[in-house]
Amino acid sequence: MQRYIAKRLLYSLLILLLVTVLVFVMVRIIPGDPIRAAMQQNVDLTDNKIVEEVRARYGLDRPIHVQFAIWLRDFLRGDWGKSLQTGEPVLNMFWRRLPITLELFVGATLWAWIIGFPLGLIGALKRNSFLDASLTTVAIAGVSIPSFWEGILLIYLFAVLFRIFPPSGFVPFFEDPWMNLKSVIMPTFVMGTHSAGLLARYVRSSLLEVLRQDFIRTARAKGVPEKVVILTHTAKPAMIPVVTVIGLAWSYFVAGSFLVEYVFAIPGLGRMGVDAIFARDFPVIQAILMAVAVNVLLMNLLVDILYGYLDPRVRVH
Amino acid sequence: MPVTTEQIEGRRVSQVGWRPLVRAILRHRLSVVGIILIMMIAIMAVFAPFLAPYDPNKQNLYKVLKGPSKDHWLGTDNVGRDLLSRVIYGARISMYVGIVSTTIAAFIGILIGLIAGYRGGAIDNIVMRITDTFMCFPFLIFVLAMAAALGPGINNIIISISLLGWTGFARIIRGQVLLVRELPYVDAARAVGMSKYRIMFKHVLPNSLAPVIVAVSITIGAAILTESSTAFLGLGVEPPTASWGKELRVGYTYLERVPLFSIAPGLMISLAVLAFNFLGDGLRDALDPRLRGEGRT
Repeated sequence: MQRYIAKRLLYSLLILLLVTVLVFVMVRIIPGDPIRAAMQQNVDLTDNKIVEEVRARYGLDRPIHVQFAIWLRDFLRGDWGKSLQTGEPVLNMFWRRLPITLELFVGATLWAWIIGFPLGLIGALKRNSFLDASLTTVAIAGVSIPSFWEGILLIYLFAVLFRIFPPSGFVPFFEDPWMNLKSVIMPTFVMGTHSAGLLARYVRSSLLEVLRQDFIRTARAKGVPEKVVILTHTAKPAMIPVVTVIGLAWSYFVAGSFLVEYVFAIPGLGRMGVDAIFARDFPVIQAILMAVAVNVLLMNLLVDILYGYLDPRVRVH
Repeated sequence: MPVTTEQIEGRRVSQVGWRPLVRAILRHRLSVVGIILIMMIAIMAVFAPFLAPYDPNKQNLYKVLKGPSKDHWLGTDNVGRDLLSRVIYGARISMYVGIVSTTIAAFIGILIGLIAGYRGGAIDNIVMRITDTFMCFPFLIFVLAMAAALGPGINNIIISISLLGWTGFARIIRGQVLLVRELPYVDAARAVGMSKYRIMFKHVLPNSLAPVIVAVSITIGAAILTESSTAFLGLGVEPPTASWGKELRVGYTYLERVPLFSIAPGLMISLAVLAFNFLGDGLRDALDPRLRGEGRT
């Protein structure tokens, strides 16, 4: 098992290195001069000396591979550069906004569980019934509905028509826990919808797969009550793919956070990403892209390890 | 997406003739709904000039933000353009982006996946590492970052979607090729001295394509969703072209006054994505030998 984990870890590190190259290249292909674009508002651009000075300060006058090496070194040291818009260190901005986005992720995971699990369970037990077909439709609708539209619909229903929740904004938990809860209920629900639908589909199909196995037939033949068969015999093996979905859901949440934080005006990492893209604030875009990739890689690694733990056959490959 | 490309990757898909395949799809209720919806949206896109009651770009500042009426079924937007006409024309952008970007992605992905899977060795290794790297980025974020780099505009969005989308196709084809190339008829072809390329394109490729059909359907849906998301965030088609995501972006600011302004285009995006997901689901079941013959899912 340790060898397996070490192998997966090494592999993830290799991919991470390739990701850094990709991110570096992506940000560098921005046509025109990002420094000029960023300084447009507050510096006299006809004065080339000032422009060159700023370029030198950001290391943009050196060869591209040197820039990459310096950038990677600084990045690993925690020096993520300064925002071209505000001049604030990107790392500070990142740490300030991370808890907000993480809270959304956790809330979305809870919603996915609360909705997705029972939907899949009922679908599998009432297989091929009208109820099953309706639940399948609901689940696919859940994965298809664009999160921004769902957000707008919820705002219209619960903030405009019935004034139950605030339409947008975010209140930190330690400032006012009750208002914090109210401000995250709709955004987390919207973020979790996609994963809830996915989870329902997975739970249903993996339960059906397990129910087809011989040991279930044996249990039934022995006269074990159906309730016990479902709860004790199928629950554990059916959980394997479910764990995977929860892991993978976190990669979906990243894209979700870009849209959901925009719609609900929540000052998290997603909103920071959208704003940075519009301002072509490349130190921030860089940091966000790295955070996105690290999140996906970490989740994949976690799922791989969990899989190896739950299913010994996986470790051999 | 209900089915992800990972799910069909490396799965043994038996080759089915067209007729049984079509029959299996038509037995799958949701995929029939998907096909009907796709046909409706396609008709909207192709025949937009005949179906739309007004010119989608014609402004009428005397009729701004009106609710539904006999003249304007869905009402008018913030510069007095007919919403129904704009929603009908919006189908063009969505279908265009979905189909073009998926075609490019599938073409590149199939070619690279075929070579990687058949040749194996270092080429395979390099290609797989590259796809793993690209796959660390969700569609939307990759496309947004590229839009920041290349600038907004519909063609740049198509380029970005294709640039990321090929990875899924490459992995699927590679997985299939690995299975197919070990089959006896490929050995036979090799034994009679056929050239490598003839075997690859004549024998291995056609027998590896089945799961790609599923991926095409899913990817078109994902591309439509990505395009409308980027348009919603403000990077998409240039004005005054109508696009569902952009309508929604503007409509959202008038949510309280004219709710239909955001509800109508959003509903269209949802239906389009839903349709391709339904179809993808049906195709997957139809191609899965374990599920075939069981009828509904």
